[in-house]
Amino acid sequence: MTAVGATFEARGPAWNWLSTLGRLVLGGIWIAAGVSKITDLDASVRAVRAYRILPELAAQLVGAGLPAVELLLGVLLLVGAGVRACAAVSAVLMAVYMVGIASAWVRGLQIDCGCFGGGGGLAAGVRPSYGWELTRDAGLLVLAVLLARWPVGPFAVDGILAARREESGR
Amino acid sequence: MMSKKTGRSNRSVVTARRGPSLTMIVGIVVVLLFAGVVGFGVYRTQHQSGSGAIPTNATASGVTVGQASAPATVDIYLDFQCPVCNEYEKQSGPTLDGLIASGAAKVVYHPLAFLDRFSSTKYSTRASEAAGCIAQDGPAVFARYLKVLYANQPPENGDGLPESQLISLGQQAGAGPNFAGCVSANTFAGWTAALTDAASKAGIDATPTVEVNGKQIDNTDAALRQAVQAAK
Repeated sequence: MTAVGATFEARGPAWNWLSTLGRLVLGGIWIAAGVSKITDLDASVRAVRAYRILPELAAQLVGAGLPAVELLLGVLLLVGAGVRACAAVSAVLMAVYMVGIASAWVRGLQIDCGCFGGGGGLAAGVRPSYGWELTRDAGLLVLAVLLARWPVGPFAVDGILAARREESGR
Repeated sequence: MMSKKTGRSNRSVVTARRGPSLTMIVGIVVVLLFAGVVGFGVYRTQHQSGSGAIPTNATASGVTVGQASAPATVDIYLDFQCPVCNEYEKQSGPTLDGLIASGAAKVVYHPLAFLDRFSSTKYSTRASEAAGCIAQDGPAVFARYLKVLYANQPPENGDGLPESQLISLGQQAGAGPNFAGCVSANTFAGWTAALTDAASKAGIDATPTVEVNGKQIDNTDAALRQAVQAAK
């Protein structure tokens, strides 16, 4: 009894549900971001190049590698597997994205963040929306940090595994 | 015996409080990195498969229209799916034709495939490949095809033009007998991929981008005339 209580932490059920909700939101956004990029890896690499930060090979690695990472992160969060680790990685990624976007803003680049696909280029006459992109990523960063602190909620693989561990440990 | 058991149960409580074990965290990071490396591998494989064929009358980066000796070189980075490129052609097409005819400038068209995601059929890529095919029939035919493709530009987020129409429009522009086969076989897929990549590496982020003798200019007709005039 007490061991199970320790696993699920002594909070009200509403708080646990909030954790699940946050997990679904963050996971859903990762999946949307990954899916929008994974079908056109060339565009994803171009979007990374457009920041003009990374050397060519690193830009290819990040541009072609990130969509799969984002997609997998999203799936893991949705099913609730390794939530704390995934939330921590999400927070780190969001922080890195924010540094990239802020750097593009400071340098006066005219690009799209490429967060949800696209090759980084803006259509003619469209102004960059760095402020909104930073605000959005900051919100997601906070969400990821909160989720890393309180990763336990209903409907998670983690919960099933923890319960099973308790069973066998008894 | 007793102390050993206590120690074990203590550790179990600590593990439970901290959530997943270190092994779990390391495992997840490794799996994520692996996914990233797989993506990178797929990208590199796609980029090696392109055949190196370059259309006759073209270079690895585009198709030149006009006299090689012209003092000004106008580089136009375009995408056949891009509405603003179409507008630019309507605005400055006649100016460019005049500059080419007078020998003041030659124009290097770079038909990029930036906007593949704006059609369900990768129209940007297919139109660029077809433009490579028609370049084999000469720069003048290529220039006519460019105008015809713009005049028949499909809307964004649609299905693009079907292959049959890409071919019939080419024949309308004066394509030779090998054009249809060249388009159907995606002969210049590697060329399109390579010139798109080259432009991206050179810092071209959006279409249309216009450069005169290597320097980017505003997409206005006045800026074009002025820059070409200055290059004399």
